[in-house]
Amino acid sequence: MADAVFLALSVLTIGCAIVALEIRSLIYGSIALMLTLSGIAGFFLLLDAPFVAMFQLSVYVGSIAVLILFTVMLVRRELIFNKIEDKRRRYAGIGLMIALMLTIGTIIIGSGIKTMETNSSAIDYKKIGEDFLTYYSPALIVMALILASSIVGALALAKREDVENEQRTD
Amino acid sequence: MSTIAPEFRLSRFIASLTDIIFWVLLIFSLVGLPIVFIVLFYIKLPVINGQLMTPYLAMTWMADPSRSIPIIKSFMHTTIFRVAVFPGFGFAALLAAATIYVERKFLAKIQLRVGPLYCGKIEGILQLMGDGFKLMSKEIIIPAKADKPIFWIGPVLFVGTAGAFVSLIPVAPGWVVANPSVGLLAVFATIGFFPIIAVLSAWSANSKWTFIGGLRALHQMIAFEIPLILSLLGIVILSGTLNLSQIVQSQEHYWWITFMPLSAVVFFITIIAELERIPFDLPEAESEIVAGWLTEFSGMMYGLIQLGTYLKLYAFAGLFTVLFLGGWQGPSIWPPFPQEIITQGITIGPVTAKFPGLPLFDQEMLNGTLWFVIKTVGVILLILLPRGVFPRVRIDMILHTGWYKLIGLAFINIFIALGLLYAGVLGPGGLLH
Repeated sequence: MADAVFLALSVLTIGCAIVALEIRSLIYGSIALMLTLSGIAGFFLLLDAPFVAMFQLSVYVGSIAVLILFTVMLVRRELIFNKIEDKRRRYAGIGLMIALMLTIGTIIIGSGIKTMETNSSAIDYKKIGEDFLTYYSPALIVMALILASSIVGALALAKREDVENEQRTD
Repeated sequence: MSTIAPEFRLSRFIASLTDIIFWVLLIFSLVGLPIVFIVLFYIKLPVINGQLMTPYLAMTWMADPSRSIPIIKSFMHTTIFRVAVFPGFGFAALLAAATIYVERKFLAKIQLRVGPLYCGKIEGILQLMGDGFKLMSKEIIIPAKADKPIFWIGPVLFVGTAGAFVSLIPVAPGWVVANPSVGLLAVFATIGFFPIIAVLSAWSANSKWTFIGGLRALHQMIAFEIPLILSLLGIVILSGTLNLSQIVQSQEHYWWITFMPLSAVVFFITIIAELERIPFDLPEAESEIVAGWLTEFSGMMYGLIQLGTYLKLYAFAGLFTVLFLGGWQGPSIWPPFPQEIITQGITIGPVTAKFPGLPLFDQEMLNGTLWFVIKTVGVILLILLPRGVFPRVRIDMILHTGWYKLIGLAFINIFIALGLLYAGVLGPGGLLH
């Protein structure tokens, strides 16, 4: 059962990723991207990590994919992209991908993660929270600082002083 | 007095009826019964009264009312029953249908109108059924320049997502379709799909009204999703769990609304905005942009969207009940099942019928469901109320409310919850636990 689900999810995820790259319509491309991200959430569910799966869904599908969709709808495609058909680039890209996957695969196999214990229970999200606040707290603080600085940067970039808002009275 | 069918003949009517009955019986005995048997041979049948039910026994037991109760009982504990009937779709759709009727009468009474009146003689009680038949019989019109696959799949996805949301709401102890350990996060993930569906179906219809409505829906839902998530974090902090059933169990002595009224107010406002109801109904503003992102939907596609909207309304009201009002908790008021029916059976004149296997539901479950329904209906009425009295607000005001005020209030609430936790009043190991 789990094998069949794994195979179906793999086909869905990889197929939708290829579609997202190759299809002409930007809207369908972003839908395919959403399906890819949902497929990854399915992998997390198979790995007994529902906490990560739900965050994958609500952050990647619910927010990031929506922002991509929003941008695609508001921007006209012809103005930002010009089509480049280049066979050599495509083959180089495929070759690069295979090389990368082989490297990562050798590293993973060489790292000793060959066997997985399938009967272990799911990791409790409370344990994740404890770890974040104790052992990994420096990483958490650094992440928070990076996010805060990026938000401040985005606000500073988005602020326009030449526009007067006449409607707002409060 | 108009006549519906001037060429009506009673004899022809009876002849056509008998004709239909003949064909139904013929097709059922030639096709239906074999299919029933084939299905019964393949599905896994339960063990009832210490005897494995074979398809032959199944047929005789279905004919005998005193022996069919164990079959019904075993069916009620299957997953398909939970998904389709009781805590799942059927129950929610029933409440949603009742909500549509009550909303129309309720708003009419607020505004000194009469509401639906003629259909079904008594206060227009069959109006909803009539509307349903009307929607089903209407033609589905697809705009010529629409993006057809997305346009077709939009309403179905909407109902499906609303159904997924409904499946996470626990109704009675143990009666919930899906009970993941991260139930509240699953709710957030499900809510995140609604703006995608709205904006995709709005874009696919290729019309100005729908596109403006869809963009408004996206703006509004994204702006209110963050205060929605933040306002519920206080409960997670104090109850120490994300599972919705455990959150209900943590409210055994007091409801969370007594300690976090601020959170409840923020959550209630975000509910109204997520449901696109007045005063936040900008995505469907009928006096500005026809019907917003629903403009091009016709016939049963519109009906599906409406069904999904009211399922979502029920699910949000149920979520409010589960998180703030103690869910199924309440004093035991459901009368116990009479013992003499179990021991002696029902005697009508000379006939005594025994029903082994009664009662069908235990008292705890019925009591819990009663309290859940009472509280949920109260919340639904509160959600309906603003529609009768408030005007629509402007888009910049709604975004300002969402991004500034509600997020600020939600953060204040989180600090209140943290204060209660660190002061040792509430939470795991607190004074009041």
